[in-house]
Amino acid sequence: MTVKSEKYMMEEEPYYRPVGDEIALFAAAYLNRIPVLLKGPTGSGKTRFMQYMAWLHKRPLVTVSCHDDLTASDLVGRYLVKGGETLWVDGPLARAVKVGGFCYLDEIVEARKDTTVVIHPLADDRRILPIEKRGEVLKAPAEFLLALSYNPGYQSVLKDLKQSTRQRFLALEFGYPNRELETEIIVHESRVNEEIAVRLVTFGEKTRNLKDRGLAEGASTRLLIHAAQLIVSGIGQAEACGAAISAPLTDDAEMYLALSEIVSSLF
Amino acid sequence: MSHAADKRIGQLREGLEINLKLDFMEDDEIRDIFDEIASFDPSLMQKILALSLSLSHASSSFVISTLARIRKARRILSMKSTEKWIANAFDLLDSKGIDPFIKFISKADDAEILKKYQGPEGLSLQSILPRLEAYIQGISGLELKIVQGKTAHTDTSTIYLPALMNLHTAKDENFLIYKLMVVHQWARITCGSLVPDDGIVKVFVKKQRNHPDIDSIFRNFQEREFAQDLYVILESIRSREFLVAELPGLMRKADELVKSIFEARPHLESLSAMTAVAEGLFQYYLCGKSKGSMPAGVKIISPKLKTLRQAKSPSSTFELLFDIYHAGCCISGKYEARDLSFLGTIRPDKVSKFLRTKRIEKKKNYEGMINRLLSAPEMENRKKPSAAKTETEERELRPDEKYLVIKGKIIELNSELREIVEERQGIPGGILVKGSDLGAGSPVTLADLVAEEEVEEVRTGGIPYDEWDYRRSGYKKHWCSVYEHDVYPGHEPFVEMTLRRYGAYVGLLRSKFEMLKREPKILRRQRDGDDIDIDAVVEAFSDMLAGLSPAEDLFIRIDRQERNIAVLFLLDMSGSTKGWVNEAEKEALVLMSEALEALGDSYAIYGFSGMTRTKCDYYRVKGFDENYSATIKKRIAGIEPKDYTRMGPAIRHSITLLQSVEARTRLCIILSDGKPEDWDSYKGEYAIEDTRKSLIEAREKGIHPFCITIDKEARSYLPHMYGEANYTVIDEVRKLPDKITEIYRRLTT
Repeated sequence: MTVKSEKYMMEEEPYYRPVGDEIALFAAAYLNRIPVLLKGPTGSGKTRFMQYMAWLHKRPLVTVSCHDDLTASDLVGRYLVKGGETLWVDGPLARAVKVGGFCYLDEIVEARKDTTVVIHPLADDRRILPIEKRGEVLKAPAEFLLALSYNPGYQSVLKDLKQSTRQRFLALEFGYPNRELETEIIVHESRVNEEIAVRLVTFGEKTRNLKDRGLAEGASTRLLIHAAQLIVSGIGQAEACGAAISAPLTDDAEMYLALSEIVSSLF
Repeated sequence: MSHAADKRIGQLREGLEINLKLDFMEDDEIRDIFDEIASFDPSLMQKILALSLSLSHASSSFVISTLARIRKARRILSMKSTEKWIANAFDLLDSKGIDPFIKFISKADDAEILKKYQGPEGLSLQSILPRLEAYIQGISGLELKIVQGKTAHTDTSTIYLPALMNLHTAKDENFLIYKLMVVHQWARITCGSLVPDDGIVKVFVKKQRNHPDIDSIFRNFQEREFAQDLYVILESIRSREFLVAELPGLMRKADELVKSIFEARPHLESLSAMTAVAEGLFQYYLCGKSKGSMPAGVKIISPKLKTLRQAKSPSSTFELLFDIYHAGCCISGKYEARDLSFLGTIRPDKVSKFLRTKRIEKKKNYEGMINRLLSAPEMENRKKPSAAKTETEERELRPDEKYLVIKGKIIELNSELREIVEERQGIPGGILVKGSDLGAGSPVTLADLVAEEEVEEVRTGGIPYDEWDYRRSGYKKHWCSVYEHDVYPGHEPFVEMTLRRYGAYVGLLRSKFEMLKREPKILRRQRDGDDIDIDAVVEAFSDMLAGLSPAEDLFIRIDRQERNIAVLFLLDMSGSTKGWVNEAEKEALVLMSEALEALGDSYAIYGFSGMTRTKCDYYRVKGFDENYSATIKKRIAGIEPKDYTRMGPAIRHSITLLQSVEARTRLCIILSDGKPEDWDSYKGEYAIEDTRKSLIEAREKGIHPFCITIDKEARSYLPHMYGEANYTVIDEVRKLPDKITEIYRRLTT
């Protein structure tokens, strides 16, 4: 069965545990038609949050993963030649506008700068999407919401969000959840027992201690969940942590060994 | 060394020198090679010289690269093993020729292969140092350093560990002991064993000294070693729960080892009574029992040992220590210290010294401030800055506190300042007054006062820049004067030497960067685009006429991928960079220039230093409009360490320069070796906040600042000062030239 993404509704409640007041902030932003910008390191729950919001507000969610070849027409739409005739095909952004859904542009900094400009008229009080090639303007219905995600930890100067873009958005900061919450999340997502979850969280914290001391980034909650899932599937704890956490974090052999030592000291 | 051996070495040297000269090497380069050889252990010298001589017949470049490999191997291997390793390499050269030889020595940093030459010598600290350091930093979250020492101990910031561990045959067990050593030292730091609260110290020190600490406590004991060993064991009993809770896996693994250590310990009856007390206690720590019974007088303490485990502070440890110590001293016999395995030792003197250096550093700052305050012109003559009122929050005078009054200013006393006043027995020009006698007025801290009392400028004609004062959260208008100079050209062929040293790497670097250069690309047969792809259209029509379904990709798209980047390298030329750092910075600039010449990005190089706000020097090495010419190369050679690091004005001037350049992306890369600091009160939080502010200004003006800090430790203020993602730390100076190009590549792709 195929479902067009703009018709696709979350049927089950996605699991999401709020870290702060992000749900209330989002609701207020939505009510006031302010687009939102989700900031935070990878694996901190930005995408899950969007799914949860789409479910909560009962809107379809159109997700676009941005990459450096993403052009404006990839978002808005283009003419295709089909059987000798031209045919207009809407892009995901246009489709989301038409059905009044949530359009979520994941990792927006990856997209080319000229591409991000097309969302400007949609992101301020005009709330319109001009489709130049057709000479049309789409007016976004009240239900429509634009959301971007962005990881401020990237160190490339060419991949920074322009002021003119960022200043149209309300920004929600995502960080690592606190100990208790993170344990709860891991237990829920992987069904691992709580004792192991606590140790995984401790290991996660230790890797975050090593940020800038050899690691570019500490372990995200997602990595910890992966390790927990491996453990539930019968993989040994040390092997699971190695494959799911240490190895993805570093390519440096010494650092990997140091992390393995920490794992073996904790478990 | 025997005469014959000397003679042989002399002959080898001569032969080598002749060969190197034949290879057109300069005198100073040859000298460098000999210096390098001389830096190895004397007993390796002959082998290395002989090997170099053989290699020099082929090419002098082999000699240089081989020496570097030997150095790498020596870092991992012991002297004896290195000798074995060199001998093996030499055999290979003689029997199989140069290619297998090079293959062999190129693996000089592969620990697995070197293992074979290690022999039954145990595990050296050097070979596991980076791993162990990352391990303990990760676990503790503290900036702990590991350094080689005689015994395992710590001064609370550095952990000393023995150089070699060969108690066990298996490498894993030796490593386990290292791990246990390092976590026990960490436990001692975290559980407050080494820096007990002042309250506790005061109870146990009889003679009050100025700054009582753990060292003062142990000075009370006649049998210091006995007392210290007891303390180590008792504190380990106390902190055991902590370690088990934090690191259950490690402590579980230690169980086996602990049993074997227990087995190896002597029977108590075979020891002198006093030694038996400590030994018995250690055995109790290991397995909860002892071999043989403890001397009678000490037996009564065992119930107290159980309560010790729940103790939160070392206070009860000290009580127990005194009990046992006195009981132990009543028994006859001499104390013979025995090794306490992974518990290591404590060195109260080192802890005390470390605390003292920290204190002295702080005091020096204050003394400098007082002197400057006294020598400053009379403040009545100067008009007060209007913001002075809001600068510090109003403080109340406390009637029974004493205050230092200098030139009508009421200064709060803190412990350091009080000490200075006491030491000097009063300060000329300042008097101590009780708060109740002062009546009205509001006290200020010394640091605030000095900031206000800056000496007026002498030099004129500089470019004025504002400076951020976080205490008044406002700018000090035209506070700093920046002077631009050219770097005085140096005469050494530094650039040429660097290029030769990095030989093949430079070529690789150039080609790597050339690959970044992007030409605008025409993409054919696109689904949309700027123009129609005639070929595709013709094809489509012909398909249509043929009754086939035509292709749909009929457009041409021009993909503009041009780089439009201007980068300014700002170099820290402060006095602290003297030596390796300066050298590495220069090398880094040479490699960077090579790479950027290949890439075509527009770049400039400037350095900064200076002394006080009125003399902020800004040195030009290469401007944006200058070509990478011989003059520039000479200027790079002429870069040398100067005075202090006032970062704010230098960054602000760089912003001005970058703004005058046409480019889509403007980048400012700052190379420095630590905290911003100037001779005056530009230090600590003030300096960090001003630097931070100047970087924020840069970002506001569309310039991307990025900072590369050369430091052994990633200091905790860096993220705040530079911003989360806008800096990187390089822990080893030698890595800078290699790393900087990588960083630049990552930054701009």
